Amino acid sequence: MTKMNKRTLATGVGACALLLGSSFGLTTFAGKTDAHAADFPSKPIEVVVPFKPGGRTDTVARLLGKKIQEKGWLSQPFVIVNAAGGGGANAVSRMKRGDTDGHTAVHWHHQMLISIAMGLGNYDLSAFRSLGYTGGGSPVWAVRADSPFNSLEDVVNHLKKEPRSLVEAVGIGSIPHFVGAMLSKQGGFETRYVTANSGADRLRLLLGGTADIALFAASEYTAQGKGLKALVYFGKERLPNLPDLPTALELGYDVSWANPNWWLVPAGTPDAEADAISAALEKAIADPDIIKYFKANTLQPYWVPGAAAMEDAKKQLSSLKPIAETIN
Amino acid sequence: MWEAFQTLFQVDNLFFLFVGTSVGIVVGAIPGLTASMLIALTLPLTFHMMPVNAVTLLIGEYVGGISGGLITAILLRMPGTPASIVTTFDGYPMAMNGQPQRALALGIMASVVGGIISWFFLAGMSPLLAKFALQFGPWEYFGLVMMALVMLAALTQGSVIKGLLGAVLGMAFALPGIDSTTGRGRLTFEIDSLLSGFGLLPVLIGAFAISQILKETAAPIAPGPGFKLPKGKLPVYWKDARNHGANMARSGVIGTWIGLLPGIGGNIAALVSYTTTRQLSKEPEKFGSGHEPGVVSGETANNASIGGALIPLITMGIPGSVTEAILIGALTIHSLQPGPLLFQNAPEIAYGIIAAYLVANLLMLALMWSTVRYIAMITQLPRPGLLTGILVFCVVGSYAVNNSYTDVWVMLAFGAIGLGLEKCGVPLGPFVIGFVLSPICEEKLRAALMMSDGNVADVLTRPYALLFLAVALLTLCLPLFASGKKAGLAPPSEEGKA
Repeated sequence: MTKMNKRTLATGVGACALLLGSSFGLTTFAGKTDAHAADFPSKPIEVVVPFKPGGRTDTVARLLGKKIQEKGWLSQPFVIVNAAGGGGANAVSRMKRGDTDGHTAVHWHHQMLISIAMGLGNYDLSAFRSLGYTGGGSPVWAVRADSPFNSLEDVVNHLKKEPRSLVEAVGIGSIPHFVGAMLSKQGGFETRYVTANSGADRLRLLLGGTADIALFAASEYTAQGKGLKALVYFGKERLPNLPDLPTALELGYDVSWANPNWWLVPAGTPDAEADAISAALEKAIADPDIIKYFKANTLQPYWVPGAAAMEDAKKQLSSLKPIAETIN
Repeated sequence: MWEAFQTLFQVDNLFFLFVGTSVGIVVGAIPGLTASMLIALTLPLTFHMMPVNAVTLLIGEYVGGISGGLITAILLRMPGTPASIVTTFDGYPMAMNGQPQRALALGIMASVVGGIISWFFLAGMSPLLAKFALQFGPWEYFGLVMMALVMLAALTQGSVIKGLLGAVLGMAFALPGIDSTTGRGRLTFEIDSLLSGFGLLPVLIGAFAISQILKETAAPIAPGPGFKLPKGKLPVYWKDARNHGANMARSGVIGTWIGLLPGIGGNIAALVSYTTTRQLSKEPEKFGSGHEPGVVSGETANNASIGGALIPLITMGIPGSVTEAILIGALTIHSLQPGPLLFQNAPEIAYGIIAAYLVANLLMLALMWSTVRYIAMITQLPRPGLLTGILVFCVVGSYAVNNSYTDVWVMLAFGAIGLGLEKCGVPLGPFVIGFVLSPICEEKLRAALMMSDGNVADVLTRPYALLFLAVALLTLCLPLFASGKKAGLAPPSEEGKA
């Protein structure tokens, strides 16, 4: 009987060990193909992702990391560490506890700017050194397919005639909220809000008729087929996947939101190490497989170097601060 | 659909489903490790797989992970997954009364029946149900959760004050974090790690598993009586179909239904169906002391909730839980976007998920049924070794949720809090329930008021919300009229025996 006990237990422990081993093993051993490795990186690079696994930021980090490892553009692999919660504060404190020699990095997007504008967490842009943007994606504003509104103009006219007569699904203090607020500020109209904490929540509330308008990633929108009607795209140029959808800029609103895949390291990281990672990322985003994934998922593959990305982010942040002040 | 089953019965798919389900059961049974953790860990491996293989593996893990939780809930009073909390209420007393195998066998049967009931809903009427569930806005969620809260308050009629004290404490611990209605930190005292609040898993693991470990360390429990195992026969009989059939059907429907509503997980499904069963029971006083229907209703409902949660996932692309959000991530890697178009673009995946869900449930039955007699011997293992092992997994699991040490400290602190509460006779059930339900209740009410510009009368236009609130009111008032002769639910502790 005890023998049987041990066996059951051993099977359990063995299965777990196998599972742990297989995911860690991959990252620890597989990367050592590059025999002439310079002294950086000397161990796997920890990439902190401020979200749970499975989302866009997580997936892009894993895909680029896999490609860099496969091609040997860095002698050590990326290890993705998900530190969700606290509006990114958990990820930042994780980064601050890590190395400042290039072995700790963060993959995030412009939600960070919103957290800074809202004053969540004790950090600002000076805590980071920017490595660059590896492409990004812009959202759309959509209504239900059976909605009487067929264009942004329809919605704006309706809201000017009957202020606050439409419900917008947003997470207060999140990207949908800020993008919507930038647009309504420009257009001089006002909606009512209902709390929605994720894209799934916004979809549920919009399809169920609780909300009238919501913001979606372009890929979330296209997956719904005929269920939704997009009114405006927030990219700087039209999206190739949706050639008929006008941008807000075209319609005369100075609002755009190009949510980039932003790679960062802690502020004290030296040039050589930061440049080594940047160079690998720049090659990865130009890789045909990655470009194919980006295009299929309505993301745009492009490269913006570190300093230029930081400039862009600072500009965006200054346009978010006045909106954060309107939230009490 | 038939083709989906044919695809599924190819060697590779069956293999992945088998691996997923068995690993899921083991991980589900270990307090601290959950299905969503396992799936997150497996996610990178699925990048290299065929999409159908990936989906069968993950569905197997999901079903196995939720089912495995009953093992430790019954044998050690440590829910292996949050969805098995209510199983500790009656399952553990049953095990202590010398019926561990009966409790396990019933739990397994109930899990499978729950899975199959919800599979019929999933396969038969997904689009219809998804459409219905979508009508639920903030008012309806508020009404539903309020109803559940009040029903659970009724659970502790015996010691109303202590029950309420537990519930209020649970609610208080749910307050810190980012307030989703204002986007600002609340009660965070400028501490960054408090911005994400107290995590569900660290609190649950702390309150149940750690407090139990502390208690047993202080006052060791003698290993269970060495029961003789009847050869080749498990203690489940045909008459159980008659005794528990109605309970299973009802709990299966409740579980599917609650699973349908995104954002409300298996733990709430189990809680609601447990209290419903108790409310309807002719002998409610027996619940909490090792009453079979208690185990049956909780385990039926938590498995049924998976099938329910898969409905909005495959028809609308709306994930009902963290686990499913990761499942969506696994699909998008293969450029498959779950949503209404999935049935057109990749029918083998959409139907594959449905078919895999059924087969995973059957595999789970076969696996657990054939090993249950050995599983029951966990209680015979030397306690120090067993508890140490569990403690290690609790620490690893709490850390792994967000890769944060803070969560480990939170878990340990709640272990001490849980122990303290029990010593004062404050039941843990209401504490955890207050903690789990009150944030949803608060958020939905505030969202509803936000949406209606602060107009409370808006709820009058929402029939379902009104219905739920009416049931809540009735639950609250009825015991006042019926004389309070019901001896309330004894807290799931062994105060008397200690």
